[in-house]
Amino acid sequence: MIAMLRWARDLVGRITDKLDLPLLLALLALMVISLVVLSSASDGNSRLVLSQGLRFAVGLGALVLISRIPPAKLRLWTPLAYAGSLALLSLVFVFGSGRSANLWLNLGVFYLQPGELLKLSVPMMLAWYLHSVVLPPRWGVLAVCAGIIGLPVGMVILQPDLGTGMLVLASGVFAVFLAGMAWWRIGLFAGLGLAALPVGWHFLMPYQRDRILTFLEPESDPLGAGWNIIQSKIAIGSGGLTGKGWGQGSQSHLNFLPEHTTDFVFSVLAEEWGWVGVVTVLALYLFVIGRCLWMAAQARDGYSRLLAGSLALAFSVYVIVNGGMVAGLLPVVGVPMPLLSYGGTSAVTLLAGFGMVMSVYAHRKFMG
Amino acid sequence: MRLTRRPRIKNLRAEAAQFRRRAVVAGVLVALALFGLAFGYFRLQVLQHEEYQLRSEANRIKPRPIVPARGLIYDRNGRLLADNVPAYRLELVPEQVGNLEATLQGLAELVELDEEDIARFHETRRATRAFRPIPLKLRLTEAELSRLAVNRHRFPGVEVVPYLIRRYPYGELFSHVIGYVGRVDAADLQAMGDSRDAARTHIGKAGLERYYEERLRGEIGYEEVETNVEGRALGVLRRHGARPGADLHLSVDARLQQAMVDAFEGQHGAAVAVDPRTGEILGMVSLPGYDPNLFVTGISHKDWQALQGPARPLFNRNVLGGFPPGSIIKPFMALAGLEMGLRRPEDTMLSTGEFFLPGQERGYRDWRRGGHGRVDLRESLAQSVNSYYFQLAVEMGVDRMDAWFGEFGFGHATGIDLVGEVEGVRPSRDWKRRRFNQPWYPGDTVNAAIGQGFWVTTPLQMAQATAALANGGIRHRLHLVKATQAGFDQPLVPEPQPPGVRVVKDPAHLAPVIDGMVAVVHGPTGTARSVGTGAPYRIAAKTGTVQRTSRRGNENIDPNALPYHLRHQAWMIAFAPADDPTIAVAVLVEHGGSGSRAAAPVVRRILDAWLLPPAEETAP
Repeated sequence: MIAMLRWARDLVGRITDKLDLPLLLALLALMVISLVVLSSASDGNSRLVLSQGLRFAVGLGALVLISRIPPAKLRLWTPLAYAGSLALLSLVFVFGSGRSANLWLNLGVFYLQPGELLKLSVPMMLAWYLHSVVLPPRWGVLAVCAGIIGLPVGMVILQPDLGTGMLVLASGVFAVFLAGMAWWRIGLFAGLGLAALPVGWHFLMPYQRDRILTFLEPESDPLGAGWNIIQSKIAIGSGGLTGKGWGQGSQSHLNFLPEHTTDFVFSVLAEEWGWVGVVTVLALYLFVIGRCLWMAAQARDGYSRLLAGSLALAFSVYVIVNGGMVAGLLPVVGVPMPLLSYGGTSAVTLLAGFGMVMSVYAHRKFMG
Repeated sequence: MRLTRRPRIKNLRAEAAQFRRRAVVAGVLVALALFGLAFGYFRLQVLQHEEYQLRSEANRIKPRPIVPARGLIYDRNGRLLADNVPAYRLELVPEQVGNLEATLQGLAELVELDEEDIARFHETRRATRAFRPIPLKLRLTEAELSRLAVNRHRFPGVEVVPYLIRRYPYGELFSHVIGYVGRVDAADLQAMGDSRDAARTHIGKAGLERYYEERLRGEIGYEEVETNVEGRALGVLRRHGARPGADLHLSVDARLQQAMVDAFEGQHGAAVAVDPRTGEILGMVSLPGYDPNLFVTGISHKDWQALQGPARPLFNRNVLGGFPPGSIIKPFMALAGLEMGLRRPEDTMLSTGEFFLPGQERGYRDWRRGGHGRVDLRESLAQSVNSYYFQLAVEMGVDRMDAWFGEFGFGHATGIDLVGEVEGVRPSRDWKRRRFNQPWYPGDTVNAAIGQGFWVTTPLQMAQATAALANGGIRHRLHLVKATQAGFDQPLVPEPQPPGVRVVKDPAHLAPVIDGMVAVVHGPTGTARSVGTGAPYRIAAKTGTVQRTSRRGNENIDPNALPYHLRHQAWMIAFAPADDPTIAVAVLVEHGGSGSRAAAPVVRRILDAWLLPPAEETAP
């Protein structure tokens, strides 16, 4: 009996020995919060909560699994992963399904959003490439990086899925930034980007323009495009310091707040748990990001560092963009709140990403 | 140009250091962004909390009006004349309906909707503020209700609303007393503006329903209802109760009212019965009438057309109708002669059949060829001797007549609690100058003496003046509502009335006039002696016949030989019992021939109904 328990403990220990406990605890805390908020926001729809729980379980499985893969092996597979995700993405154009945009690939058992895979494969590919060249990157290297980023981002935006495109772009840019791209080059790019804004405006879909205009002046069309933002702000503002209490959010329960289990779940949290809840969750996020950056810095090889670092920073983009969007501080972009929002492939990809970070940290001593 | 470039060598240590620096920079930036975010939420949740709290409440809680039950209307014996019965109506909020046309079409498959309903809906919609429900169809049938219940989910923004609808159990009988409520139309909505009253669907349009609208309708309350984004009510949070409308207790007696209608035996006309001691109206009919229930849900085009005939059933003859009084003015002339000291009762006057003004060729006739001989006051009334009053009027002069009749209420609205009462015409120099810009001629005075010429009176005015003869010379305000009641468990509150006005200086002057009026019915020469036979009480009365065609030359026209629409108007005023009157009536029979033949039997039947013990009553 005792032997069996010991054997089980050993097994668990061997499986989890590559995990980082502080990071894991923070992630688990976020997932628990997600389930609690969702069980209120879904109005007692236990199927929705269960399915989110299942997603977390799958994601955690992926995390454990990936944490055991040494970064050297990951690096080996990187070009393949990148090419594969691009191939899946192009399949979406042929077989894709979705309400307003072709984002999903029906795999029979579940829907796959290839855009999600890019959030991992693009930083992997950049890390792979930058690992092999002399840093800090100069123009030639940057051009290749631009190609690695630009191809998938362009395809995603064409789908059109501005949110995912932006996140993929951000994760790529962070990799280049962490690789040490000179500040003057960054400045030059930023300047060019700003100058290109008016040109970019022409390439936006009408609904995307609407969102930006709505962000600039939400009250101009309170029953139309501005509705979501206004109702979300009402939900957040009415939550006050300590919130209305679990299950007491009138904005979400009476359906004034749209998409309150997915993109606007953070508004539900803000309404029911108040500013205290908001700050608690933001602190958890900050801890997760900071811990990941620190873990990345411990790595001995460039590939691991760049991969883990850019994943951590990409994660922060989710938080900032979604948190800013639901409070009307940023335009509405279809970006979920990481690990809180109900949905899709995002939770699984995110946890898989954290698996990579943990692998990098666990294997820090064996490379270099 | 450099030909050779020194190859750069990967420096792992430098790269690691570079990464750490960048990671710190990125970490600081992320932390700053998250702090910014936390501050953004702080602003919304703490600094602007109250504003958003209010907006959240406003989202959640919608006031829903509670329309109180309309006050009931009872007759003097507590019979219910106007009732509220539960019904259901179909309402929709156009702003919450996706496709209005499709919804209307879909609803038309479940509910009978005709073009009038749709047109009325659109008209009301134009006058209604956004996000207010607009009635589409009132009074849904059971079948429609069940069809709607099954299909309700298909129609967001559409509601079936229970409400109380007005019902008039006596139908036509009280049409010209109670009037009716009708659907609020665009003009009413404009008048009510944005007040809470806009939640009403019905409003008094005629009769007492209109006159007492403010009191009958009560005060709308509201409840705070928690609603979701589709506007579905989820529960009531607070109620601010409505104040129900006041019940009206009329002085009218439904039994007498029915007897009055029966008394006409299908003829058209009007009759008013009052209690001379108080001015209470005991019964008031204008025939033909109409069924007020037709108007409650909106009268159909067909029904409306049917009410537009020459008999004018919608026209309240008592209030709106002006008719020359004819000979029923004579008792008042006789009384004026006594009051002014121009006559004593025993003074006589020779009736030769024709009366001449000095210097005029044209004669003014008595109705009997060859005259009535020598008559005193009593006989002048009993036989309705014109020349007695011609002579009296000439001595009195038009100005004194004008003042006298003005005191009795002629030429003024009686002030009854109904809307739109006409004043009629009391002939005077002033009036004639204003109306025709002509001087007054002595012949006008002679015509006025017997209620012809310019005179226009309403049956109400005649009843009011007759009551003053009956009660010792007091003019009371005529009224229909005796008392009001705030609720069935509340005490009756008598409706205040202005004090009666004494119009006869010396009540002793009334006795000879009443004596003459009694002789009209009970005297051997009385014009209405045929109806006095067998009456167990004494009646004081006066008949009148108003010509619709003027007599030409010397021929005497038999009024009953004329085509119907040219026949005379028959009048009779009466009160009984003559020595202690409890009822005074004024009856007008249209196209009825002479007052004695057409109006007198009607009067007798009315008086019998009031003064004789009642037969068994049958419920409506």
